[in-house]
Amino acid sequence: MKCLDWKEKISGYIDGEISSEEARQVEAHLETCGECRTLERRMRAIGTGVARVETDVPPDFREKLFTRLEAEELLPRRRSLFVFSLRWAAVPLAVAASVAVFLFVSPEKGKDAGAPQPTATSSKVSPQAESQPSNAAPGKGQPVATAAAGLSVEEREIVANLEVLEDPAAIDEQGDPDTIEIFEPSVRRQG
Amino acid sequence: MRTDEELMELYRRGSRDAFEMLFARYHRKVIHFAYRMTGDEAKAEEAAQETFLRVARAAPTWQPTARFSTWMYTIARRTTLNFLRDEKDEGDKVSIPPGEESGDGSPAPQLPGPSALNPEEIAWSAEIQVRFAAALQQLPESYRSAFVLNRGEGLSYEEVASVLGITVQAVKSRIFRAREMLMESLSELLP
Repeated sequence: MKCLDWKEKISGYIDGEISSEEARQVEAHLETCGECRTLERRMRAIGTGVARVETDVPPDFREKLFTRLEAEELLPRRRSLFVFSLRWAAVPLAVAASVAVFLFVSPEKGKDAGAPQPTATSSKVSPQAESQPSNAAPGKGQPVATAAAGLSVEEREIVANLEVLEDPAAIDEQGDPDTIEIFEPSVRRQG
Repeated sequence: MRTDEELMELYRRGSRDAFEMLFARYHRKVIHFAYRMTGDEAKAEEAAQETFLRVARAAPTWQPTARFSTWMYTIARRTTLNFLRDEKDEGDKVSIPPGEESGDGSPAPQLPGPSALNPEEIAWSAEIQVRFAAALQQLPESYRSAFVLNRGEGLSYEEVASVLGITVQAVKSRIFRAREMLMESLSELLP
């Protein structure tokens, strides 16, 4: 067999695509033929070179592709982790909010229950003291007036201050006594 | 670790993670393949994007008996050729008939890959890479595809035959011819 005839076999030998018997024949020939050894070395170098012809992956390659895939509805959209977490956090958050409201309201309820009831003696107030609540919250209606009727002047001042502390928004509100009722915080009403 | 075929099947059932894993395994290979075929980074990126889009679009017609890599390279080659023919035509000429790319599912034979070769055989540099990329473009497309799929992508002759739709003997001949032509055009770079 002439060297020219070995060429294609050497090509297959480099690629591992000839039988073991043929491979032994090629190896035996290469041991005795310098020209074919050079050819084999050059053929391998060509393969190495082609394998090293590479280009960088563009940094936005994945993002661009996945955007196109999602636009064509070829890829299920991944759930937002924030939405997922928020959904699972909703129950404990609701419980925590309820507990907070309860703790916040309970002392006031207790104070409400323990507040002095209107009596003949406690209803005896001076005109100046009687006008105090209406000055603090002009335009307030009967519920506040009724609740405040049994309070002393000092107690009314305290109540007036509490009112502001409980519902700062009430400072700017006009004409709606329900929204500024001191013993019914707005949080409780919304719940 | 799941096989490519298992991942493709999962993706067909709607798994985004399965597609992401296939993408992670193959996106570099597809980009490098497209670059070796076109010699142009921008075209390679576009062709690679289009290849993955076509893989996703054709997923419903993919036959689980076919090797995923063979099927994907068939799509990648056709897509790349479309870009070479007319880069403005977004590659819409190619259709992938269902079940066209069949495979027997047998494991690919182990090839002596580029890493097995002596890297000192070629003093590699960016300039030489450009020379190799340019030399590849001078090959007839049928030779270039066969050689790049085998030496660049590591496909066996049988797999290359499946991708190109030709016989194993024809693959052997084309690869040998490609080697001869490359050795001639790059002779001054070879040992």
